[in-house]
Amino acid sequence: MAGAAERPHPPTHAKRNLALLGAALLVGWAAVTVDVDPSEILDLPGGVALLFREMFLDPGPDWSYLPTALEGMIESLQLAWVGTVLGAILSIPLGFVGAKNVSSGGVSNVVRQLLNAIRAFPEVVLAVAIMIPIAGLGPVAGALAIGLHSIGTLGKLTAEVIEGIDPGPVEAARAAGGGSILVQRWGVLPQVLPEIVAFWLYRFEINIRAAAVLGVVGAGGIGFSLQQTISFHRYSLAGTAVIVVVLVTIAVDTVSGWVRRRIIEGAGAKRVDADAIAHPELAEVVTGPVERP
Amino acid sequence: MTAAAGSGQRPARPRQSLIVPAGLLAFLVITWLSLSDQFGIGFDLGAIIEDITNGGRILITESDSAAQRGLLVPNWAFLPRTVDPMLETFKMAVVASVVGCTVALPVAFTVSRVTAPNGVVLFLGRTVLSVVRAIPDLLYALMFVAAVGIGPLAGIVALVFFNIGVVAKLLSETVDGVDPGPIEAARAGGGNRTQTVRWAVLPQVLPNYVAYSLYTFELNIRASTVIGIVGAGGIGNLLFTQYRFFNWSNVSIVVVTLFVFVLLIELISIWLRRRLV
Repeated sequence: MAGAAERPHPPTHAKRNLALLGAALLVGWAAVTVDVDPSEILDLPGGVALLFREMFLDPGPDWSYLPTALEGMIESLQLAWVGTVLGAILSIPLGFVGAKNVSSGGVSNVVRQLLNAIRAFPEVVLAVAIMIPIAGLGPVAGALAIGLHSIGTLGKLTAEVIEGIDPGPVEAARAAGGGSILVQRWGVLPQVLPEIVAFWLYRFEINIRAAAVLGVVGAGGIGFSLQQTISFHRYSLAGTAVIVVVLVTIAVDTVSGWVRRRIIEGAGAKRVDADAIAHPELAEVVTGPVERP
Repeated sequence: MTAAAGSGQRPARPRQSLIVPAGLLAFLVITWLSLSDQFGIGFDLGAIIEDITNGGRILITESDSAAQRGLLVPNWAFLPRTVDPMLETFKMAVVASVVGCTVALPVAFTVSRVTAPNGVVLFLGRTVLSVVRAIPDLLYALMFVAAVGIGPLAGIVALVFFNIGVVAKLLSETVDGVDPGPIEAARAGGGNRTQTVRWAVLPQVLPNYVAYSLYTFELNIRASTVIGIVGAGGIGNLLFTQYRFFNWSNVSIVVVTLFVFVLLIELISIWLRRRLV
């Protein structure tokens, strides 16, 4: 056995294979034990095709329902807007306090955990469990639910943006004798505002989707029409409502996306990854860390 | 007081752009319209504060009967009944994530500028994808319950569509930004489209794909807690039944279970992501 006699062993993949096996077992267990009949799966394409035909082709959408659907969708847009504004206003102070370089480490941790906890609940759950009992059925409860959920997501994003600022202007403001509020106003806010406003718009786009279905639980908007027409098998009417939801959502996405790009590029925020602004969740997924939207 | 001798005049102020005031004005008008009683949702801060003080009582009502207790007086005896639906929710999320992310992979390559077979397919694919993305999870669930009946299958299919929208969009944008070098090499080596995607593009985006898939799984866990509300299986169903009977102390138990479960899944997912990505 002189020195170089043996070839090096190929690296072992045992650990990786074990993990893959574990994942496969988990998926297999879930697929087998979930309460779905194989016969149901065979019926699926036919059922979907039938529904699609009734909603969009024959008899197809009933355009006399258009005014009702539009009215519901406008209410959805409005409650999404109000919810986003509420969330945006309240998330600013929380974002500042939640940023480690603005407040102390202990305080920021507590605030971040609070924001995490808020975000764990989907809007519909917040509406059902908190806002409808308090504000009663209707769009106000929906707006409050969206607002509360948005505080969680926007607060977290705001805090993260603030933690990434250039410390120079802050030092300059301090050196010029600015008090703590003045330092935030002139040293921090101008650096982060474009990104934060872009996040608000992005959140508005997401909130429209939530607002379109909050009506299912009675929290206002077109969701009520969707739920009523579908559960009473009025598929022509449902088809109209679905078309309205899709077209309005795409239209608002397009306008809002254009404004977001304008804000970011107009501000010349080069250090920001454009993709991350287009999809804040991308930043979060790719860099790996901590949380959900 | 003309101070400087040479130039004499102060430089002209840069012209203020009208975009910011216009944007601000648009913001104020839209907000006012949305809040107003006549055109909007009738948002009245005073009434809400009053509701919160009154509603506070609903939250903390004590009673011997579990059905009449408030939200903040949870009925712990209800806890065991949340286990099975929660488990079902978990299984639905697992199955839907696997199916959804698998389908999303080829879709993403079809709707990326870099790998689309031709312009027509790219345009059509993008249009279909933006329609898929415009439909919220709960609306999918409503439609699939109507199509295939009440039960977890409708929920799983709804989540699958929701996932295709998210993953295909994120991944196609990642594919748009890949290094073109390997693609050229694969083409020069005589690779066809499938081979190019397989050997030049996929290895570049695989880590992102795994990360997006895990992220979608987390989204699914939260989405699948809701879609049960319309009868698509899982814990949402239990939540909505208790809500419809105004059984607030049971509602709060469901909410607590949900919360713990979501946080637990997230911790696991973060741990996995750290190890994988």
